[in-house]
Amino acid sequence: MGILNWFSKSEPVVQKVPAGSFTVDRHGRVMTTTVGSEYPQRLLDDTAREVLTLFREARTAQMPMTGIDLHFAGLHIKAREMQGGAIIFLSPQNAPATPPPAEKDSP
Amino acid sequence: MEAQHKILVLDDEGDWLDVCREFLSQLPSRPEIRTVSTGMRALALLDSQPFRVLLCDLRMPRMDGLQVLSIVRRRFPELRTVALTGFSDEDFRSRAYALGVDMFWLKSDMQQNQQMFLDCIESLLGQEDDGGFRDIQSKNILDVIRMELALRNSSVLRITSGRQVAQLWIQDGQIIDARVEGADGEAAFGRLLKWKGGMFESLPPENGHIQTIHKSLEALLTESAQILKKTANPTRSQEEEETNFVTRMTALAYEGAEFVVTIPVKKEDAAKGWGIHDTDRLAVWARLAEKAMQRLGQKLNAGPWTHIAGQSLERHLLFVPGNGRTFVIGWPPKTDPRQLFEQSKKLADTWAS
Repeated sequence: MGILNWFSKSEPVVQKVPAGSFTVDRHGRVMTTTVGSEYPQRLLDDTAREVLTLFREARTAQMPMTGIDLHFAGLHIKAREMQGGAIIFLSPQNAPATPPPAEKDSP
Repeated sequence: MEAQHKILVLDDEGDWLDVCREFLSQLPSRPEIRTVSTGMRALALLDSQPFRVLLCDLRMPRMDGLQVLSIVRRRFPELRTVALTGFSDEDFRSRAYALGVDMFWLKSDMQQNQQMFLDCIESLLGQEDDGGFRDIQSKNILDVIRMELALRNSSVLRITSGRQVAQLWIQDGQIIDARVEGADGEAAFGRLLKWKGGMFESLPPENGHIQTIHKSLEALLTESAQILKKTANPTRSQEEEETNFVTRMTALAYEGAEFVVTIPVKKEDAAKGWGIHDTDRLAVWARLAEKAMQRLGQKLNAGPWTHIAGQSLERHLLFVPGNGRTFVIGWPPKTDPRQLFEQSKKLADTWAS
């Protein structure tokens, strides 16, 4: 039976939008997190790195920011600067990718 | 009976407004004096009634004096303007003159030379607006140049018309070089002749300036006239650009934003700023932010990005994508953050249209 598994299609994996919060130090290391453990650690690392880069580049542009909110159609990332590191909140947004079908009028 | 002139004084400091009112009340012509503390209020007042002179502080929160003056110069060209500042800053001075202000006064000088200041304001009140170049009434640019050449003078003529500044180098009664934004030499001189009016300033000669023009004035005029004949509506694009500038600066003022920067996606296209001068660093950050948002949107399955909001003690910053560019809009710190996205979208729409 095992050989048949090679030809069977794997279930499509739906990547969930993360929810929760986490803190990172100035080097981008995740220190504490309330995001579910099933959520890939590397994606939290990537998010932390991008956020810290934005704070750093803001300083370079001579417009230092204490907070940066990143708004996507399906996610809101709220980051607050903390001594070179940051606390980051991830809040999924209810934004359907496609509008629901219009209801038909009942006869 | 002669109508009483009106003077408008704009400054964010109430005490200074009182000082100005006190000063100006000593003017012999007894003009009506009105005071306002914000640029928006000043523009609204100028819209509603005629004023003769505007005294404008340069350093103010939200809309600063230079922004106000740039709007005023185009919307109310007949209004005489005086820039006031508490700081001796050469950059501010040259920027104010580039905007076509009639006078630039340090507040300290104004207090120390009270009578001279009053004489200057009185002379502005008395000037009739009869076109041509200011300082030499009823003369056009050619008259001014001819006069300089006839006197066999050596000087640098600085001519300001709105945001445009031109320089003309004259040596022993002969034009040796000209410069306007985007052109040098004969081409610059040709452009200069199209100007309808402006402000004229004679500066000391620059010894050793390189000669790029070797023709006589009459030869230059003949060539310029031929070029002008060939060009239909030569100033239309310039007028459109001016109109766009005023529309946008007015939108900026009325919405209460500090500045708008548009940053094209392509790196080779330059960012443009309104109400802000140094856009390069901001453009680098905005392009980096845009790429970061695209990466994060894909990795986190979060969909397209709608905007970025940044906060600091000095201001709010909004990044809004649209029409192949990113708009970066600066707002004062007291602006309600809940309204910022909608307000920024509105401004971005104005720019896009």
